[in-house]
Amino acid sequence: MDWECCWSREEIAADACPYIGEGEEDLYGSQRRRVVEKCVECPRFKNDLARMKAEGHPLSDLLPYILAEFQEQKSQMGAMLSFLNSKTREIKFLREVSLVLQTSIDIDEVLSVAMTAITAGKGFGMNRAFLLMTDKERRNIKGYLGVGPRDYEEAWRTWEDISRSNFTLKELAKNFQKTKLTSEKVKFHDILEQLTVPLADQGHIFNRALQGKKPILVENALNNPDLDRGLARILGVDCFLVMPLISRNRRVGIIIADNCITHKPITLQDMQSLETFAFPVAFALERASLYDRLQEEVTKLKLANQKLFEQQALIVKMEKMALVGKITSSIAHSIRNPLMVIGGFARTLLKASAEDDEKRSYLESIVREARQLETVLSEVLDYSESLFPVMDFWDLNELVSATLADLSEGIEQAGVVLVSELSPDLPMVKIDYKQIGYCIKTIVSTALSHLAPGGELRVASQKDASGVLLVITDTGPPMSEEDQESLTAPFFQTQEMGAGVGLSLCRTILERQGSSLTLAASPAGGNTYQIKLLTRKESI
Amino acid sequence: MAKLLVVDDEANIRLLYSQELSDEGYDVVTAASAIEAAEKLQSETFDLAVLDIKLKNESGIDLLQRIVKERQNLPVILCTAFSCYKDDFSAWLAEGYVVKSSDMQELKDEIKRVLAKRQKAAATAS
Repeated sequence: MDWECCWSREEIAADACPYIGEGEEDLYGSQRRRVVEKCVECPRFKNDLARMKAEGHPLSDLLPYILAEFQEQKSQMGAMLSFLNSKTREIKFLREVSLVLQTSIDIDEVLSVAMTAITAGKGFGMNRAFLLMTDKERRNIKGYLGVGPRDYEEAWRTWEDISRSNFTLKELAKNFQKTKLTSEKVKFHDILEQLTVPLADQGHIFNRALQGKKPILVENALNNPDLDRGLARILGVDCFLVMPLISRNRRVGIIIADNCITHKPITLQDMQSLETFAFPVAFALERASLYDRLQEEVTKLKLANQKLFEQQALIVKMEKMALVGKITSSIAHSIRNPLMVIGGFARTLLKASAEDDEKRSYLESIVREARQLETVLSEVLDYSESLFPVMDFWDLNELVSATLADLSEGIEQAGVVLVSELSPDLPMVKIDYKQIGYCIKTIVSTALSHLAPGGELRVASQKDASGVLLVITDTGPPMSEEDQESLTAPFFQTQEMGAGVGLSLCRTILERQGSSLTLAASPAGGNTYQIKLLTRKESI
Repeated sequence: MAKLLVVDDEANIRLLYSQELSDEGYDVVTAASAIEAAEKLQSETFDLAVLDIKLKNESGIDLLQRIVKERQNLPVILCTAFSCYKDDFSAWLAEGYVVKSSDMQELKDEIKRVLAKRQKAAATAS
C-alpha cells in the first residue's frame, strides 16, 4: 500500500520526512529507529492509522493502545533522563564545590564559592542570594553579604558576560572573589542592614528555619496573611527560600535565595538541591571563621611574644646600664675623695697666701679646676642615679613649692619676680620625687640665668587630658632653635659632662619616667618650658 | 670653743678637716675608724661629730645609729661622697647631711647651724 508516512519503508530519500532534522541523517537508512523516534509522533502516521481502521485492518484497534503506552513510557523515560542529567550535573557541581569548600580556610574564598554556586547558571541558577551570619556575642543573626544583580539591566549584562566566557564554577568563584566580592559586600548594604534579627525572636522565619534545621520556602508572601510580609517587602519579592546553615548543631547562619529578576518559581527540587549544598557550606563557613579567630589569636600571641623579646632585650640593656652605672658611680666616688683633698688644700693655701704672691694664680686654677671636676662628678652620679627611678604617687604642687622655697634665695638675688599659679585639686602624679625635683630645680635655674633683674618667672601647674602639666615661663630673650635643640638633646647624645648638661639630663630623666619636656621660645620674648607628667601607671 | 669629732678613714681628709675647722675656731679631734671614734667618745666629750659614711671596717651609718642610741645629745653631721644616702631612712637620724666638696663652706655652715640650734635648745631648757 502507498502510505502517507514513511514507516513501512526500509530506506527513504532525504526529503521524504519533514520531521528529520539536521544531524539526524542516519535515520534515513534505519527504519527501526525512524519509526521509534519520529513516526510514532508523526501526524502522517496518525493519518495512516485512520486509514487502516477505515479499511478494517485487524491491528488498527490495538495499535492506538500500544502507541499511547509507548508514548507514555517514552515521556517517562525522557523525564527520568532529564532528572538523571540534572542529578549528574548537580553531583558534578557539588563535587567541584565541595572540593574547594573542604580545603579552603579563607572565609572570602568560601563565601565566593558558596554564593557563586547558588547564583550561577552553572550552579543552582538562583537570581540572588543573601548570606546572614549568626553573631554569638551580640546574640543575633546579621546580614553579611548579598550577591546578584540589582536590576534587569545589571542581570542582563552579567548573564551575557558569563555566557560569553567559558569559566568553570571554580573559575567563576575565583573571578568573583578577585573582582566583585568587595563591591558586592556594599551593594546590598541597605537590604542587609534591615536583616538583623535577635536569636531570641523564636517566631521569626530565620529562627524557625534554624530551629527546624529545614529550609522554608515562602511563596506568595505579599498576599498571604500568615506569612511575614515585612521580609518580602525588604527583599522586594514574594517568593524566596530561607535556608538554614547548621554545622555540628551550631547555628552558623542563613542563606536567602530568590529569583527577583526572572520570577521563575522555586521548585521542590531547587530546594532539595540547595539543602544538600547547605551542609558543606555551613561547615566550611564555620571552619573558616574559626580559622580566622585562630589567626587572630596567633597574631596576638606573636605580638605578645615580640613584646616579651623586647622586654628581655630591655632587661639585658638595663642590666648593662646598671653595670655601667655601678662602674661610673664607683669611679666617681673614688675620685671625689682625692679631688676634695687637692681642691681643699689648694683653698687652704690660697687663703694663707699673700695678695701679691705670684703663685696665687696657680692655686686659684687648682681650686677652679677641682670645683669644675666636682661638678662633672655630681652630674655623672646624678645620671647613674637617674637610670633607676623610684616611682610613686606624689603631689606635684607640694614638690614645686618645696623646690621654689629652696631656690628663693637665688630668685631674690637675681631680682626676679616669681609668679606661682598652682592649680588646686590636681591628681597625684606618678614620678620619682627626687629626680623630678632635680628637673624642676634645673629648669627654674636655667630660666633664672636668662632673666635680667625685674624679669618675671611664672610657674604654673594645670590638669591635662592625660596627666598634669607644669609650665615654667620666663620673660628673658627668646632662645634660638639651635640653642633649644642643644639644650634638650638627649643626654646620651651630648655626653658633654660639665658643659651644661642640666636640661639634657632633665629630658632623659623625664622620658625614662614616661613624661616629656618641651621647650618653646616666643618671638616676642620669653621662653616656655613644659613638663608633662603622667597620673596613671605607664610602662617605662 | 666647740669640740668636734671628725671621723674619716682618709688621712688627708682628716688633715684638711682639722686645718679648715680649726681655722674656724673649733677644737678638732679626728678618728680614722669607728673603733677609734668609739674610744674617743668614751674618753672625751664632744659638741658635734662629723662622720663619713664609708669607713674601712664599719659603716658610718652604723656608727651614727650607735651614737644616737648611746649619746642622744651628740648631734651628728654626715659628710660623704655619696649623695644617694640622703634618702636612706637611717641617715635621717643625723642632724645634717653634706656631700663632700673641696669647698668646705657648706660643711662649715651646716656645723654652725646645728651648733646654734643645740645652743638655742639648751638655753630654752635651762
